[in-house]
Amino acid sequence: MSSDDDASAVAGTTPEVARTPLTATLENGLTIVYEAMPWLPSVSATLVLPFGSVSDPEGFEGAATVLHEWMQRGAGDLDSRALSDALEDLGVRRGGGSSRESSSLTASFLASELEAVMPLFASMVTSPRLDDAEFEAARELAVQELESLDDSPAQRLFDELLAAFVASPQGRSPYGTAEGLAALTPALVREEARRNLRPTGAVLALAGGADWDRVLAAAREAFGGWQGDGVNLPGVQVGKPGRRHVVADSAQVQIGLAFPGPKPGTDEAYVHNVALNVLSGSMGSRLFTEVREKRGLVYSVSAFFRTLRGFGYTVGYAGTTPERADETLAVFLAELERLSEGVTAEELERAKTGMLSALVMQGESSSATAGRLAADVFNLGRARTLQEITAKVEAVTVEDVNEYVATHRLPEPTIVTLGPARVAAGVAQ
Amino acid sequence: MTRAPVDDATPLAGEVAQRLRFDKAVLDNGLAVIGEHNAGAASVAAGFFVHTGARDETPEVAGVSHFLEHMVFKGNERYTAEDINRTFDELGAQYNAFTSEERTVYYGAVLPERLPQLIDLLAELMRPALRQEDFDVEKKVILEEIAMYEDRPHFHVFDISAPLFWSGHPLGNSVLGTKESIGALTREQMLEYFRRRYSPQNLVLAVSGRYDWDAVLEQAERIAGAWPTFEAPRERPEAETAAGRDGVVDPKLNRVHVAYYAPGIAMTDPRRYAAAVLGNVLGDSSGSRLYWELVDKGLADNASLGHEANEDQGAFVGYVSVAPERAEDVIARYQEVLARAQAEPPTPEEWRRAQRKLATGLTLRAETPLGRLTSLGATYQSLGVYQSVAEVVDRVMNAQLETGLELLAARPFDASFVFTLGPGSHEAPR
Repeated sequence: MSSDDDASAVAGTTPEVARTPLTATLENGLTIVYEAMPWLPSVSATLVLPFGSVSDPEGFEGAATVLHEWMQRGAGDLDSRALSDALEDLGVRRGGGSSRESSSLTASFLASELEAVMPLFASMVTSPRLDDAEFEAARELAVQELESLDDSPAQRLFDELLAAFVASPQGRSPYGTAEGLAALTPALVREEARRNLRPTGAVLALAGGADWDRVLAAAREAFGGWQGDGVNLPGVQVGKPGRRHVVADSAQVQIGLAFPGPKPGTDEAYVHNVALNVLSGSMGSRLFTEVREKRGLVYSVSAFFRTLRGFGYTVGYAGTTPERADETLAVFLAELERLSEGVTAEELERAKTGMLSALVMQGESSSATAGRLAADVFNLGRARTLQEITAKVEAVTVEDVNEYVATHRLPEPTIVTLGPARVAAGVAQ
Repeated sequence: MTRAPVDDATPLAGEVAQRLRFDKAVLDNGLAVIGEHNAGAASVAAGFFVHTGARDETPEVAGVSHFLEHMVFKGNERYTAEDINRTFDELGAQYNAFTSEERTVYYGAVLPERLPQLIDLLAELMRPALRQEDFDVEKKVILEEIAMYEDRPHFHVFDISAPLFWSGHPLGNSVLGTKESIGALTREQMLEYFRRRYSPQNLVLAVSGRYDWDAVLEQAERIAGAWPTFEAPRERPEAETAAGRDGVVDPKLNRVHVAYYAPGIAMTDPRRYAAAVLGNVLGDSSGSRLYWELVDKGLADNASLGHEANEDQGAFVGYVSVAPERAEDVIARYQEVLARAQAEPPTPEEWRRAQRKLATGLTLRAETPLGRLTSLGATYQSLGVYQSVAEVVDRVMNAQLETGLELLAARPFDASFVFTLGPGSHEAPR
């Protein structure tokens, strides 16, 4: 049997079929989205809540990250230890974090435990205890994570880059500030909980080996009694493009750049994304070839599309030793500029093949699928099917890309460098 | 053989196992070809597992395994470096490679109809030209990679402390090497290493996901059947690990990064599942004893421990990130938690909880063919056996608390080695 025959022979049972996300909105406003992956023994859940550094009150930067930690320290009848033990007794792998405009809780577990896990998972947002006794430790952890950032130059660069690029509160660091964290009180963070832990605008995404009726019933049972209106997040405002250098005693200079791109989910965003994949989608792409393979300037170089709600932007990154930073940035900018001259049909085909194949492979993982569904509903207001994304990527032609890059010349980027020495390349004449 | 299932995790994992089939063949030149077939998979992953790594290096060529891993992507007489990268892209492959102390792995995942081309390409990698001009450019990339990890103290602390803990045993060798060893390395030294280590009998070609076994085997025979074979043994000296304290001061750091080591057991030891459960009870990143003592209280933002089993040795390895002024107190508490475990062993509830967490983690990693490939290939390469995920889950769920007590009775944490990398404002005894 040839491979092709093999592929078609089992097509009827392959994961591509029946990959339609199912959506329901509870009376309280919570959106539930689910994609069945019936061949899996596991289920993954992602709960996204619309609060983050963007919603921190002025002077209390870091409130969101402390709330995110505090709300997991006991809920309902269970104190912090009892809640953690109860989830772990069910074999739940937990995760999540607090970022710029959303905070999330994630859980992966065996499908047989769905009904047992859901009430515990929900309790952290529907009835967190927020005990005084747990507050200091939650804040102290946030302080330490902020201090640890100094020992992670690459992570720090992204924080500095977004702060320089975004003028609206989305530019604030999810880690908060030392002053903001110091100013927090239990009463203030409790008020943040009252404001932010609301079903309206929140998204519960699940994927894995359970059927929709079961998932919906378990979610409704666990989250149905949750009440409250949502919070409106401000729109994204971009700052004036410019240059910034942050002095840091590091072995490598971290180079970051950012510029605004098309609105996520639009046809233009698909075209933009395909073009970016020609630039930096793989080890055969232009940036990797020119910066690393031909010149050996870096270990890591990339450019990628990122989104905030309703707003898309491109981020570029490279890390290199100080004496080579200038050349690295110059080559990087030259490649961005050269993109406007157009791409070849072969380059486009390779970029699309990579994107389409990555979609299939991400679709095999329950946690990646739940994450994709949650991000879609949160950012676009609806979950796209894999088929829809695939069709949109497939439809992008070389004419589309070349017309797009010719008419959307590289806007002046915000460039932030972090390291021992300034970088001269790319300074506006 | 596995014992009877004892937990609801087992039938679930068993449900998956019904659809899996293990395939295996060894070519005349010693190349092992194995596969775990999953008719329900949407993709397929394949990789060459080379039984060579940092532990097989002499000090003069420190880092050569990893540098060579980069160099194989530079092609040969038939493929230029650009050809290789472009062809992977044309296949829509998710691909990469990694080097550890014990092995070097080249892998990719594609849609099932593109598997033959993927295997062709991976096989080309195994026959590199190692051209001088490519060597000179790639050396710069390696030096950048070393500089990058210097800026990641949570990684760097292990790179500089492992040689001390392993006291000259090759398991302490640095995968990256140093600026000096890489700077001085020649193409000839790399070629000599390649010729000594990359023997078919030192290689496993592993495939997981949806594939046609007859076609895979026929292709492997056609491509690799004529590769010349030779002995490529691994030295396995006894290890005498260090105990006590050491450290390095780096004034530019903001936090103290602590590497912790204590003697463990080898991958060949049947008690390794119990060792993994014990490590999880004591040091999982959430819900473990170290978590409740240090992270939950906000004393450290990271305090973890796990058991790492190598082929012939093992260790409990842990990490702490802490503010300088608190470092000594936190290190003392960390050691106290582990010392106390020897007197107050895990309760059945703690043991059970850790088993379940590990079982879920194993099940999740195996959801994708690419996620499954590494354990499939590594287990076969190091132990010569096939273990389905269901079987591993079964063994974890059946690991006995009594075995954990036996491991603790050897008092491993009395022989711990603690290494600090920090700004120096803390009191680090030398």
